[in-house]
Amino acid sequence: MTTATSTYEVKTEHGEVVNTSTGLSNKKLLMWSFLGSDVMFFGAFIATFLVYRDRSLVGPYPSDILDIPITSVSTFVLLMSSLAMVLALSYVQQGRKILGAFWIASVVVLGIIFMLFQVYEFTTFAQEGLTPRTNLFGTTFFILTGLHGAHVTIGVLWLSFLLYAHLKGALRANNAIDLELAGLYWHFVDIVWIVIFTVIYLISARDGVPPGGVPWVHG
Amino acid sequence: MANNFWNRLLYHSGNGWWELPKTPWEEPKPKMEGPFGDGVPIIQRMFNRITAAQLLHGTPAFYTMIGAILSIITLIEVWAFNIQELGKMLLPLMLLLSLGKFVLVVAFFMHLRFDRKYYAWVFTGCMLLGVAMFIAVLALINFGGQTQQ
Repeated sequence: MTTATSTYEVKTEHGEVVNTSTGLSNKKLLMWSFLGSDVMFFGAFIATFLVYRDRSLVGPYPSDILDIPITSVSTFVLLMSSLAMVLALSYVQQGRKILGAFWIASVVVLGIIFMLFQVYEFTTFAQEGLTPRTNLFGTTFFILTGLHGAHVTIGVLWLSFLLYAHLKGALRANNAIDLELAGLYWHFVDIVWIVIFTVIYLISARDGVPPGGVPWVHG
Repeated sequence: MANNFWNRLLYHSGNGWWELPKTPWEEPKPKMEGPFGDGVPIIQRMFNRITAAQLLHGTPAFYTMIGAILSIITLIEVWAFNIQELGKMLLPLMLLLSLGKFVLVVAFFMHLRFDRKYYAWVFTGCMLLGVAMFIAVLALINFGGQTQQ
């Protein structure tokens, strides 16, 4: 519910006065538009992965190298970070500073844990012999998951800054929209991973040697 | 007066002086109508209450419940992945479960369920455009030749 205070100023449900002629928060509209464009960005890379799926002629192939149990744990970590994010926003909007800070810090920590999982995975794959230059699977895999990892990194930095602002008293209930925007971004990163986990890990993980491909020998 | 008389004579609108017997379709709708009785409207009311159609956001308990559902769906995905007998059923099953998780996060964690409809339109429009591009790329490559390395 919003309340008009003058022609262009609208008071939002959390007491923030925003300058808008549409009744919508311009910041939030901008964020949703950005997320919409990011959908197409990731859509292009996921489509590319699927186009080149099962077309690598040298190993390692997905069935040789993907580790589903480990990735399931990192997926769970990211999902829980999304839950922590929504709780953080809820408490900051209620003006409960300590709980708000705790949950923002939780998101940051869980985000870092997720990144460490990705670093571990990339390192292991490189040691096994899969790099972006090895085959089509390696190229599309590293680009897609690497870009997602870059998004997570940006999110962690953004939320760390907001945590600092919250502890200093600069982020409060009346400007919680700033945390809400970071939250939208973070949840978007989560839903992109939901798709990546399904498409790359669960659907493609059984892909072995394609017709004409050379079987991969470990080591 | 005459009009009233003819109305009363020709159109039955309640019990006139001739005392027509009441017919079942003139009764008010019985409460337990429909194959599921009151179940559907009760569930609809519960859903609206829980997802806070009148409130601005859900409660922490509600969000925790959504988080638990997301975790359970992920567990089901990993469990289903290890069932070799699923064969070609694996793909649609995974897509369905993934879609469920996607919708839960977008609707509740991203507050589209509680927020202004306009944001939902912006995001849905871009999603449709993205999916169209996705299908176009796949179709173009599938009908335009093969690339192998």
